Amino acid sequence: MKIIQFLSIPTALVLAVSTASAGKLVIKGSDTLGAKLVPQLAEAYKAKNPDTSFEIAAEGSTTGLTAIIDSTADIGMSSRHAKVIEESAAEAKGAKLTPTIVAYDGLVVIVNVKSPLANLTRRQVEQIFTGDVTDWSALGGAAGKISIYTRNTSSGTYSDWKELAMKKRDYAPSSQKMAGHEQIAAEVGKNPSGIGYVGLAYVKAAGVKMIKIEGLELSDETVRNKSWPYARPTFYYTNGAPAGEAKKFTDFTLSDEGQAIARKVGFVPVK
Amino acid sequence: MKSTTAQSARPIGEALLNRNRFRLLGLTPDEIIKYFFNGNAVVAIVVLALITIFLFREGAGFFGQNRHNLRIYRLAGLEYVDFIRRQVDDHTALNRALNESRLAQFTKLTAAGQTVEQANAGLVPFDAFATTFGDAVEDVRGVLSDLTEVAMAIKQKEQVNRDRLEQKGMLLGAGKKEEADKITVTPVNFAAETVTLKGAFPAYQEANKQFATKLGVALAAAPVMPDPKLQKQIDAVKTKGQALIAAIPGTERAMQAWKHDEPIPLSRSLTSFLFGRQWLTASFWQDWYGILPLFVGSLLVSLIALAIAVPLGIAAAIYVSEIASAREKNFIKPYIEFISAIPSVVLGFFGVAVLGSALRGLSQLSFMSWFPGFPMSERLNSLTAGCLLALMAVPTIFSLAEDAINNVPKHFKEASYALGANRFQTITRILVPASLSGIISAILLGFGRVIGETMVVLLCAGNRIAIPDFTEGLGAFFQPVHTMTGIIAQEMGEVVNGSIHYRALFMVGIMLFLLSLAINYVAQIIVRRYRISIG
Repeated sequence: MKIIQFLSIPTALVLAVSTASAGKLVIKGSDTLGAKLVPQLAEAYKAKNPDTSFEIAAEGSTTGLTAIIDSTADIGMSSRHAKVIEESAAEAKGAKLTPTIVAYDGLVVIVNVKSPLANLTRRQVEQIFTGDVTDWSALGGAAGKISIYTRNTSSGTYSDWKELAMKKRDYAPSSQKMAGHEQIAAEVGKNPSGIGYVGLAYVKAAGVKMIKIEGLELSDETVRNKSWPYARPTFYYTNGAPAGEAKKFTDFTLSDEGQAIARKVGFVPVK
Repeated sequence: MKSTTAQSARPIGEALLNRNRFRLLGLTPDEIIKYFFNGNAVVAIVVLALITIFLFREGAGFFGQNRHNLRIYRLAGLEYVDFIRRQVDDHTALNRALNESRLAQFTKLTAAGQTVEQANAGLVPFDAFATTFGDAVEDVRGVLSDLTEVAMAIKQKEQVNRDRLEQKGMLLGAGKKEEADKITVTPVNFAAETVTLKGAFPAYQEANKQFATKLGVALAAAPVMPDPKLQKQIDAVKTKGQALIAAIPGTERAMQAWKHDEPIPLSRSLTSFLFGRQWLTASFWQDWYGILPLFVGSLLVSLIALAIAVPLGIAAAIYVSEIASAREKNFIKPYIEFISAIPSVVLGFFGVAVLGSALRGLSQLSFMSWFPGFPMSERLNSLTAGCLLALMAVPTIFSLAEDAINNVPKHFKEASYALGANRFQTITRILVPASLSGIISAILLGFGRVIGETMVVLLCAGNRIAIPDFTEGLGAFFQPVHTMTGIIAQEMGEVVNGSIHYRALFMVGIMLFLLSLAINYVAQIIVRRYRISIG
C-alpha cells in the first residue's frame, strides 16, 4: 500500500499549493487515520454540510505536524505525540500544536487459525519478535520455525511496536517486512507458523486468529483502562484550539455518529 | 496569391530545390530540422546529467552523517557495551542450536513410536546439560543489561542536546533572541559519562570468571547420547563452547584498550556501508546501514533468474534461428517478445496470489522431501521472485542471442555441413562458439534487466533483511531476501527528507546505478571483441 502512497505524493503536492479557505478543510498526516477513518468521516460530514469540501492527504504523522507548523493544513492527523523539536519549531513560527485524542488504535497479535496457541504473555511476544525464541515448540505450539511478519522499517507502526511490545529492542533479523497491514494478515493467513501484528480492522482476514495477551482480549474496556498493552491514541493536531470549520469537524468526529464510524473501521472509540 | 498559384503550378522537383528560400526566424528548413533533432539530443543528455548529479549530491551527504552516527556510537560507549553483547549473543546462538537438536531428536523418537513420556525420559541427561549450559551466561547477561541502560542514557543526553541546539537555532532564525537565550546547552562530557561504563569492568571480569567456570563444568559434564547425529551436534557445541571460553581474555583486552574518543576515519563511513552485514534502521540502540544483505539478496535472486532464463532463452534462440520452420518462427518469436509487454506489477501479483503458494505446496509433498531446503518455510522467497524475474529476462536474452546467432556468416555453417557435420554438431561446434561473445553479452544485459527490477522482488522476495544462511547449501535459495531496488521502493515513501536514512537509500541507488553501468560496459566490450573475431 506504500506504493499507492508513493504515487499519491504528486497529488499531495498539488493539494499543498491550494491552501485552506473558507468552507474547505485541509487535512494531512498519518496514514493510520487517513486511510479509512477520516475519508469516511468526511463523507458523512459532507452529507450534512454540503458546502464544505475536503482535501485529505495521508503520508505519515510527520507530514501532518509539519503542515500545522507551516499553516498549510487545518488539521494534522497523527498517530504519535508531537516531538519536542516539532513543538519548538511551531513555537518559532508562532504556532501552537494542540492535540485532540480522536480514537484509540489497538494493535493485536495474529497467528494462523491452525495454530493451537490461544494465549501469549507479553514476555513471550517480546521473545518472539526479537528472535530470542525461534521455534513454536518453545511456546507450547506445534514444532516449526516461527515466521515473523512486520511493517516496513520507516512506518510509524514499526517503531511503535518496538516501544509497545519489545522493550525498544530490535526486531529479529529473520523478520519479514510487509508493505501494509493487509499483507501481514494475508501472509499469516497462509503460513501455519506465521505471526504478526495488525490493526483491529484486519483481524477478519481469512485464516488468521487473534491471540489473547495475558488472558486479555482487546476491547473498549481494556484499551481505555490501559490494561491492553498494545494500544496508542491517535490525534488531530491543530494550531491552538480547533476553531471554525476545523472545530465543527473535530466535534463531529467525537460525536456518537463519528465514533460509530471509528468503531466500524477498527478503532476503539474514546468514550 | 498570384505567386502561390505559380508555385503550386511548378513541378515538384523545382519546388524542392528552391525550398531553401523559405526562412523562419532566419533559419532554413534544413537548419530547423537539424536543430530540432540536435535539441532533443541535448535535452536528453542534460536531463540524464541532472539526474546523475542529483543522485550523487543527495547520496554524498551520507558519509558525513554516517561518520557522526558511528562517532556517537563510540563516544556514548555503545561500542563498549556491544563487546559484551556479542559474547552473550554467541552463547545464545549455541543455546538455540541445542534446543533445535533436542527438538529434532524428540520428533525422531516420537516418530519411531515412542510415547511423549518415553522420549522425554530418554532426553533427561541432555536437558540437564542444556540447562546448565544456558544458565552459565546469567552473570554476564546481568552486567550487559545494566551497562546497556547506562549507554542508552548517555546517547539520549546527546540526542536531547542536539534537539535543544536545533530549537535554539530555530528560535534565533525566527528572531526570538530572548527565548533562544533561555535554552542552555551544556555539551555532554563523554569522558566523565563513560567512566561509569569502564568502572563496571571489575564486575564484568568477575562475571566472566563465573561464566568460564560454569561453562567449563557444563561442557565437561556433557552427556553421551546413543544417537550418533545428536552426539555429533553435542560435540560441535562442546568445541564452540570451549572457543567461547578461550575468547574471553581477548574480549577483555579489547575492552581495556577501548577509548571513547578514538577518532573515526571517514573511510570507516564508506567501509561500514559497503561491507556492513546489517541494515538496521529506526533502532533505539544503533542504526546500521550495511548494503551487503541487500546486495547479496539482489544477486541471489538475479542468479536464480538467470539459471532459469539462460537455458530457456538461448535454446529458444537456437531453435528459432536454426531449426524452426518459417511458420513456427512467425509464431514463437513474437510470442516470446510479447512476454516483455506484461507489466511487472502483474507478474508480481501472480507471484503473490498463485506461484508462491504453488511452489511451497510442491515443496511440501512428501516425495520431494529429499531435496535440500524442502519443505520451504516461506511462500515468498528468492525462488518465487527468481522464477518471475526469469520470465522477464527471457525476452531480452532470446532476442539478443538470436541476433548474435543470425550474425554468424552463412559460409561458416555451409563449410561445416560440407565437411560432413550434422546439424547438432554444427550448432554446438560452430554456431554457438562463433556467436559466444554475443550470447554472453545477451546474458549480461539480461542480468542488468533483472537486477534493476523492482516490483516483482518487492512483492515476492519476502523482504527479510538478512544474508541468507549459505550453510544450508541449496536451502539458501528458498529463503526470503530483501533487495537493493526493493528497499528503496519500500522505505523512500516514508523516510524523513535529508535524514541519514534518506541519504543511505540514495547511496543504494548510486550502487545500483554503478552496477548497471558496469554491466552494460562489459557487455559492450564483449560485443566489440566479437565483431573483430568475425572480421
